[in-house]
Amino acid sequence: MVYPSNHRQIVEELMGGKFILSNEEHFNSLKENDTFYTEFFKISFDLDLNLKTEYAFLLSKETQENFSRDVSIFIAILCYELDRDGRNFMEALDFNEFTFEEVDRYFDNSSFIDLIESNKSLREPDARRTLINGMHRRNIVNKNFEDRFSFTQAYKVFVDFAKELALKRMAVESE
Amino acid sequence: MIKAEPRTILSFLHANFDVVKDLFSYQIADGLITKEVYDMLIQKHGHTMNIRLREYRVIRSLGSDYEMRDVYFKLMEFLMFEFKPLLPETIEKYKGSISELFLKIRKYENQDRDILQERIKNLSHQVREFVDLVERNTFRLLAETRELKSNIDRIEYREKVQKASFWIEYYILPLNRILDVKHSESVTSTVLDVSEYANRRRLDFQDETIRMEFEKLYSQLIQTNTDLLRQSKVLVNELLPLLERIRTESLILTGWIEFLRNPYKMDTPPLLKGSRTMVYAKDMLYKVREFFEQFSVNDYVTLEDGVVDFDKWIFDRELFKSNLTKSLPVNDFFSWCYKELEKDFQDIETDKFFALCGLLFDGDLQIEFPKKAERVTLTTTTSNISLPKIKVEPALKI
Repeated sequence: MVYPSNHRQIVEELMGGKFILSNEEHFNSLKENDTFYTEFFKISFDLDLNLKTEYAFLLSKETQENFSRDVSIFIAILCYELDRDGRNFMEALDFNEFTFEEVDRYFDNSSFIDLIESNKSLREPDARRTLINGMHRRNIVNKNFEDRFSFTQAYKVFVDFAKELALKRMAVESE
Repeated sequence: MIKAEPRTILSFLHANFDVVKDLFSYQIADGLITKEVYDMLIQKHGHTMNIRLREYRVIRSLGSDYEMRDVYFKLMEFLMFEFKPLLPETIEKYKGSISELFLKIRKYENQDRDILQERIKNLSHQVREFVDLVERNTFRLLAETRELKSNIDRIEYREKVQKASFWIEYYILPLNRILDVKHSESVTSTVLDVSEYANRRRLDFQDETIRMEFEKLYSQLIQTNTDLLRQSKVLVNELLPLLERIRTESLILTGWIEFLRNPYKMDTPPLLKGSRTMVYAKDMLYKVREFFEQFSVNDYVTLEDGVVDFDKWIFDRELFKSNLTKSLPVNDFFSWCYKELEKDFQDIETDKFFALCGLLFDGDLQIEFPKKAERVTLTTTTSNISLPKIKVEPALKI
């Protein structure tokens, strides 16, 4: 049997919980063999492949995963604080580069301080760096320098999650 | 009928602008000026104010309440730039009036000159009103949108989503349809048709006065098309994206606030947890063995059908030992071995024979060699073996 090009890299990265981004070479191979990979991951590991135009990742059956929760809280607070600061947070997530210092300032002065202090991945600057490094390993952020990072298109998974939540809430209210 | 001179009325408005402005503000807020509000204003500014407001027809009674007359209201709207956005349905009516006049102008262009002239003037007036309304609406929508973006009133994100959706659905998109020149049913497209017709007629109409009218209409429509195009661009390039962004951003923030209310009780995006094999993992031994085993066979192995002896004989020491013990004493050990094998095999192989002979070395047997050199010759598949007659007995227990 002939496997698609970059097969090993695709499987290793996706199984490692990593996002594959559209600007990466092996994304094309994944996209061109969409049907094969969807079936491959389903039959081999009983996992669903989520392939969008800008990124791809494997869906876990475990919804109580801490990393996803920590990242969601991190992005939620960052969006809220950027908006409060009068910045266009969507543009910031899309194009801006963040420094650790800037993130620390937003988190240390946030009105969600109780929530931040109750979360061990967010309460200390060093813990936040570890979380950001974890996000870097998963391709959710790019680390441009040692103390700077920018979001990849994978952040949209979390933003879409927030949108769905809002729509559900508004639907409940309108009933 | 107003007896006062126009200049007198303007002077009154100038001198009492704050009063008129207050009346205008109340009317904008409530749709009318309630009796209480009006009485309060009159009490503050004196009874003469009441007389002047009525005499100059600034206000009129509406049951027990009052309202500002339309001409003053529009003047104040213009002066204050306080336009209430009109529903596009209201603006769309101009399509009817413009089309109707255009149709009649074309149909009866060779009949009465005066009525043709009046129709052209009216058409021009309708177009002017239409452009004016569109401009005012766009301006107001832009102001409302910017206000929504800056969020001075600190309204909630959810309300922002609703407002943005409302403006888009009921104002921006319908207004854009009215202005979309590519749409054959749009008002702009009708205006463009009129413009093309006026362009031809300003050159070839036989009556000079009418030609002049068409010339004026054409000049006006050239400017109108430019204005409408600009308004359309504002809608498509600025207003719509801005409102869409407000809506999207507010929707996301609404979701985040909802999530942050209780982040530990909600299912977050189901990301796969990466698995790494640690050297201290339980199954490490097996994984390492499996890993190395794949390199242990490095020669090609050729298997041929029928050559492999699957019925390989395995020497069962326990069985033969037991048989030997039962047979003790045995006068000729090697012959006994041979006979034992003969029970199972027709031909006795040397290997099997020697394997059985190994029983001799078990410690619990007593071996006695013959006094004479008595020997026996046994034949295996490969050899004739000459062996001494050895007597075997159970070992003496001390």
